[in-house]
Amino acid sequence: MKTIAVIFGGRSAEHDVSIITALAAIIKPLELTKKFQVEPIYIAKDGAWYWDEKLKDISLYQGSGIDELMRKAPKTQLLFDGSLTLFKPGSFAGRKQSKKIDMVFPAMHGTHGEDGELMGILEMANVPYIGCGVAASAVAMDKVLSKQVTQSAGIASTPWTWFYSHDLSQNQTRILKEIDALKYPLFVKPAHLGSSIGITRVTEKSLLMNALEVAAHYDDRVIVEQAVDNLIEVTLPIIGNEVPVPALLEQPILHSEDFFDFETKYMQGGKKNGKKGGQKSGTQGAQGYSQIPANVSKELYDKAVSVGLNVYKTVGCTGIARVDMLIDSKTQEVFFNEINPLPGGLYSHNWNKAGIANVDLVSRLVDYAESRWQDKQKLDTAFSTNFLKQF
Amino acid sequence: MRLLISLFSPNYPQTLVYMLQSTEYEAKPYLKWFWRTKDFSSVMYRRKLEKTRVASSLLLLISLGMVLQVVLGLALLYLGNHRGRLPLTLCGTLLVITYPFVWAHLLVLPLALGRLLVIKPLHKKLINESKAIFAKHPGTTIAVAGSYGKTSMKELLKTVLEQGKNVAATPANKNVAVSHAYFAKKLKGDEDVLIIEYGEGNPGDVVRFANTTQPNIGVITGLAPAHLDHYPSLQAAGKDIFSLAKAVGANKTFVNSDSEATKSFIKPDYHTYNSEKVMGWKISDIKVGFTGTSFEMSKGKQHLNLKSGLLGRHQVGPLALAAVLADQLGLSKTQIEAGVAKTVPFEYRMQPRSLNGAWILDDTYNGNIDGLRAGLVLLKDLPARRRIYVTPGLVDQGVETEAVHIELGKAIAAANPDKLVLMLNSVTKYIEAGLKQGNYQGELQIEHYPLDFYTNLEHLLAAGDVVMLQNDWTDNYN
Repeated sequence: MKTIAVIFGGRSAEHDVSIITALAAIIKPLELTKKFQVEPIYIAKDGAWYWDEKLKDISLYQGSGIDELMRKAPKTQLLFDGSLTLFKPGSFAGRKQSKKIDMVFPAMHGTHGEDGELMGILEMANVPYIGCGVAASAVAMDKVLSKQVTQSAGIASTPWTWFYSHDLSQNQTRILKEIDALKYPLFVKPAHLGSSIGITRVTEKSLLMNALEVAAHYDDRVIVEQAVDNLIEVTLPIIGNEVPVPALLEQPILHSEDFFDFETKYMQGGKKNGKKGGQKSGTQGAQGYSQIPANVSKELYDKAVSVGLNVYKTVGCTGIARVDMLIDSKTQEVFFNEINPLPGGLYSHNWNKAGIANVDLVSRLVDYAESRWQDKQKLDTAFSTNFLKQF
Repeated sequence: MRLLISLFSPNYPQTLVYMLQSTEYEAKPYLKWFWRTKDFSSVMYRRKLEKTRVASSLLLLISLGMVLQVVLGLALLYLGNHRGRLPLTLCGTLLVITYPFVWAHLLVLPLALGRLLVIKPLHKKLINESKAIFAKHPGTTIAVAGSYGKTSMKELLKTVLEQGKNVAATPANKNVAVSHAYFAKKLKGDEDVLIIEYGEGNPGDVVRFANTTQPNIGVITGLAPAHLDHYPSLQAAGKDIFSLAKAVGANKTFVNSDSEATKSFIKPDYHTYNSEKVMGWKISDIKVGFTGTSFEMSKGKQHLNLKSGLLGRHQVGPLALAAVLADQLGLSKTQIEAGVAKTVPFEYRMQPRSLNGAWILDDTYNGNIDGLRAGLVLLKDLPARRRIYVTPGLVDQGVETEAVHIELGKAIAAANPDKLVLMLNSVTKYIEAGLKQGNYQGELQIEHYPLDFYTNLEHLLAAGDVVMLQNDWTDNYN
């Protein structure tokens, strides 16, 4: 039986969402396939790594159980022995426990995980892992970079601009002048964060500066985008490597003046002004409040899917990702908005509707990861040379 | 080793009472289960002990008894060692180590005594009193007997007939003599129709029930190897069930001829019902879906357009019989159609529910081969992206166990679901043999932990899937 380590948590604002994705959407279905031994690895908010079977229990995180575990449990060590092996001191006579890992399923949303940092470690360890690689993750998690890359491939976005946060105080006039070229309403966003953190919808100039400062507080780069008139917002989950497979085009149901902030997305089941804590699961959230498939004409549907697949391939995604797009229902234009290399809960609710059960989804992702790794093994990246002899 | 540890575990007394409770305080099945158990710590898997008054009293009794025996044993051990008396030491040791076995068997003693001295005489009195009540009652009495489908038929008849008549029916699956007696006590005497379900308990029961309840009409719902631990053969079970025809008369006997095994018992004067015709009524245009079944009936100028919430082609015969009996008893076309429209699936009997866009047909109370065949036909009939069939097999098949399960395997192979999930137990090997003989082409999954499967369906299914769950094994069959 293959051993798959699921790594979740992390030093990220989306730490808690990551726990739900890992436990509900990944670990459980992997175990239900009866093909894998699943090892949970939790990265605490301070960056410490823990490996323990108890980490699979959601109730641990809902009270003080996790703090108790972290107080008592030894830190996990990693051995890069041409692959990846986990180590930790055992509870009996100091004996170490170890486990060779055959594959890793990164389940960390946001910074230091989804952005490619974790993938870098896994590439160094030469262990197969699920999802996007280092470069695709880094591009996808950077809204500025993803727009630059897709724009160069001829994929349309709404008019936008960006700046470094440190420039806000030093070059404010230039920044505001560039923003003046855009039409209101605008969206001001930190370039690297997900789950709508630090995002402001700005309807008039008097509110702009505050929004820029909020975003700059969270990130070293800020992006400002022009909103779409006659907006239909859609999202498309995609899996696959060389031949990406789309799920169903999904349409969050919202009014044009609304967007989902973190609170609404994960705490209120996608309902504005809803009760707090209405949804326990981050995999529900806004996903419990959308139209699947999107209610658009076949022509527009196919166009959006085509744009989504094009974005996926251009960014170099593998495994799984989700492409967000904005449609102007009047002009029928489809604009690329964002790409998410690790959809919350794997967007399994959409895959279910598309006819792929959770156990089948994770099985396919494992196969894609194995296939990509096998292809990489065929490449020569280290070979002998006479270079050193000249010194 | 596991057995030894579980015998001396603090939970052992509770496990014994749970085993008794699960076998409905019947000594024989309880003791059979006890002697085939290899690990008492895993007995309470599907459910826990329900702390009723009886269960709590038994638990207290057995716990005290065990403690007393151990204390006495230790006292003898001490005395034996102290005084150098080997017999005392041996006695003491025996008392200490045998308490799990002693009390597992002593537990049935109060039950046996209670049954003999209190319950049996009380029941006899009640049954005699009920015989007089039934003899006096002016209403039409319909007896429902068979290996399966009795409760469904009874409920169906009640739902349809009460659209125009005052109907009383025995409750739930209370179908033995004492249940009939309690039912009789509650009658007011003004009911137009009584519907009484006859359970297949012991040989001769049907004749005894008929003597007490004196039915006017007999319905035989089907014959299959079920509860065959009480009968030596299917033939013997059939003979018993068809003794109902002698009690009501051949021309008042209605037999489900869709059930293969009834065919050899059907006599020319019996009325048969099936999915094609009943008593001169022809059935046509059967449509089956996730929300119900519809069909048309016609006889001469009479025509009925029937829509039921029950699922499956196999429901057509019983529904048609209910319609015909309702017609004979004087209900109007409107009343009959309204009555049939009110029939809905009973819990765990072909009960549909939706999950993530998939359909689950919960037929976990189905416990006979004809029912399983009907389920497979339904699964094949319904539109699906992927068809999944789930079963542990059947219990209480007696001498027919191997043959029935090979037959089941072949039936599954013929229906060819995309995926088959078998809950691992003692009959799995026979089903696999049948699958092989039938050349099954789909995916086979053997599930070691049924609860794991049933409680995680949302991870296993996707939109467009149709999954049929047929039968379920409680802990006492493991």
